Amino acid sequence: MKKEILRFSDVTYIYHTVRGETIAAQDLSFSVDEGEFVAIIGPSGCGKTTLLSLAAGLMKPSAGTVESRGSFGYMLQRDELFPWRTIEKNICLPLEIKRQTAPEHRARARELAVKYGLGDFLDSYPGQLSGGMRQRAALIRTLATDPDILLLDEPFSALDYQTRLNVTEDVSEIIRSEQKTALLITHDISEAISLADRVLVLTRRPARVAHTHTLDFEVGNPLKRREQANFSGWFERLWRELNE
Amino acid sequence: MKHNLTECSDEHMTFLKRRKKRRALIWALRLGLLALLLGVWELVTRVGWADPFLTSSPSRIGATIASLYRDGSLFYHIGVTLAETLAGFAIAVVLGCGVALALWWSDLLREVLEPYIVVLNALPKIALGPLIIIWFGTGSTAIVFMTVLVGIIVCILHMLSAFIATDKNKILLLRSMGATKWQILRKLVIPSSLASFISMLKVAVGMAWIGSIMGEYIVSRAGLGYLIVYGGQVFKLDLVMSATCILCLLAAGMYFLVALLEKAIVKNADR
Repeated sequence: MKKEILRFSDVTYIYHTVRGETIAAQDLSFSVDEGEFVAIIGPSGCGKTTLLSLAAGLMKPSAGTVESRGSFGYMLQRDELFPWRTIEKNICLPLEIKRQTAPEHRARARELAVKYGLGDFLDSYPGQLSGGMRQRAALIRTLATDPDILLLDEPFSALDYQTRLNVTEDVSEIIRSEQKTALLITHDISEAISLADRVLVLTRRPARVAHTHTLDFEVGNPLKRREQANFSGWFERLWRELNE
Repeated sequence: MKHNLTECSDEHMTFLKRRKKRRALIWALRLGLLALLLGVWELVTRVGWADPFLTSSPSRIGATIASLYRDGSLFYHIGVTLAETLAGFAIAVVLGCGVALALWWSDLLREVLEPYIVVLNALPKIALGPLIIIWFGTGSTAIVFMTVLVGIIVCILHMLSAFIATDKNKILLLRSMGATKWQILRKLVIPSSLASFISMLKVAVGMAWIGSIMGEYIVSRAGLGYLIVYGGQVFKLDLVMSATCILCLLAAGMYFLVALLEKAIVKNADR
C-alpha cells in the first residue's frame, strides 16, 4: 500500500479584486503518493499556478483542506538564479534561508551539483551558463534541502525546443534517481506524457479534476517514451479531453 | 573571454590601435576646445571687445584664485562648502535609503505617506529658506539642512521604486523556501537594488551641490556660494567667476568618484 504524501480535499479558491471575485478552483480533490510523478494539465488560465501555491502552503484555500506530509521544493518557469551569486552560492540559498548552515548540508548540495555535471561551474556566475545548465542548477537548488515533494511550475517552458528536450531528460533522470515525489504543472501535453506516472486533466475555470490517467509506459525515460507506440494515442486522448 | 595580447590576430591589433587613436583624438579635441574657449575669452578682453569688469578673463581669474590662496581663504571656503555638501549628501543618502526601506516594508505606511512625499517632491525647497534661517540660524547647520532637504526626496523615490521593482518570481521562490520578510530584504531586495543605488548616488551628488550652494545663497558667511553672492553684490565679477570655476572642478571631481565606485562595483557584480 502506497503512502499518501499530499491530498487536496474539496478545495475551493477564490481570487478577490476590486472588480469582483473569480473562482479559480472549486471542489478540487486529488492526492499524490510517495515517490509518484504526477502531472497536471489544464486549459490556459485555469489557475494551475494557484494550485501549486496552495500545495506549498503559500496560499490558504477558501474552503476545503490541503494536507501534506513533508517539505516542499519549488521550481519555477525561469531558473531565477541570483546573478550576483556564484552557482554554488545559488544552490546553497535554500540552506541559508532554512538556516541549515552545517558543513554537511553544504557538502550534500555540492555533491549533488558534482553528481549532475555542475562541478566545473560551482564558482561561475549564472550569466556564464547556458539556459539548460542554468535550469539544471535551479533543480539542484530545489533539491539542496532534500525536500519530500517537488513542485514544478512549467519548469521547461522558457527554454527553446532542443534545450527543453535535453533538460526534460536531465530532470527526469535526476528526480527518478533521487526517488523524489513530483507534482508537475504544464500546458504541454507531450511533456506531461513523457514525464509522469499519472496525469490529471483539469477543467476550465473553476478548475476541477476532469480525468485521471495512469500512464502505461514500460520506460521512464522521456525521449524513449516519445518513441513508444502508445505515445500518440495518449496525446490525442489528452488533447481531446483538454478541449472538451 | 578576453584574448591574450600575444595570441591575437593582426586584424584585431589594427582594431585596437584604431580604437586607441580615436580615444587620443577625442581627448586632444576636448582639451583643444577648452584652450580655444579660454584663449578667445582672454583675447576679446585684452583687445577691448569685451569689458573685463563685466566678463572677467582667464588671467584675472587666475590672479584672483592666487590671491585667495595667498591670504589663506581659498581652502577655507572650499573646505566649508565641501564639508556642507558631503555632510548633506551623506545624511540624505542614509536617511533616504532608510525611509525607502521602511516604506517598502510597510504597505500601509507607504500608502499613508504617499501624498506627503508627492507634495514634498513638488515643493521648491528654496521656499523654505526663511523658515530654515529662523529654525537653524545662519550657520552651517542651516545649509546642511537645506542640502538634505533637496536631496532626500530623490533618494527615497529612486530607492523605493528600485525596491518595489524586485522580481516577483524571485520573491515567490524565496517564500517557497520559507524565507522571512527580513531574509527577502537581505538576500534579494537589497542586492538586486545595487545598480539603482549607484545611479541614485549620481543624481544625489548633483542634488547635494544644488542644495549647499542654494543654502549658501540664502544664509552664509563662508563658502563658494557665499563668495559668488558676495562677489555679485560688490560687483567683483572676477570673484564670481573664480568661485564658479572651482565649483565646476569640485562637482566634476565628486561625480567622477561616484563613477569610479560604479565601475568597481559593476566589475565585481557581473564577472
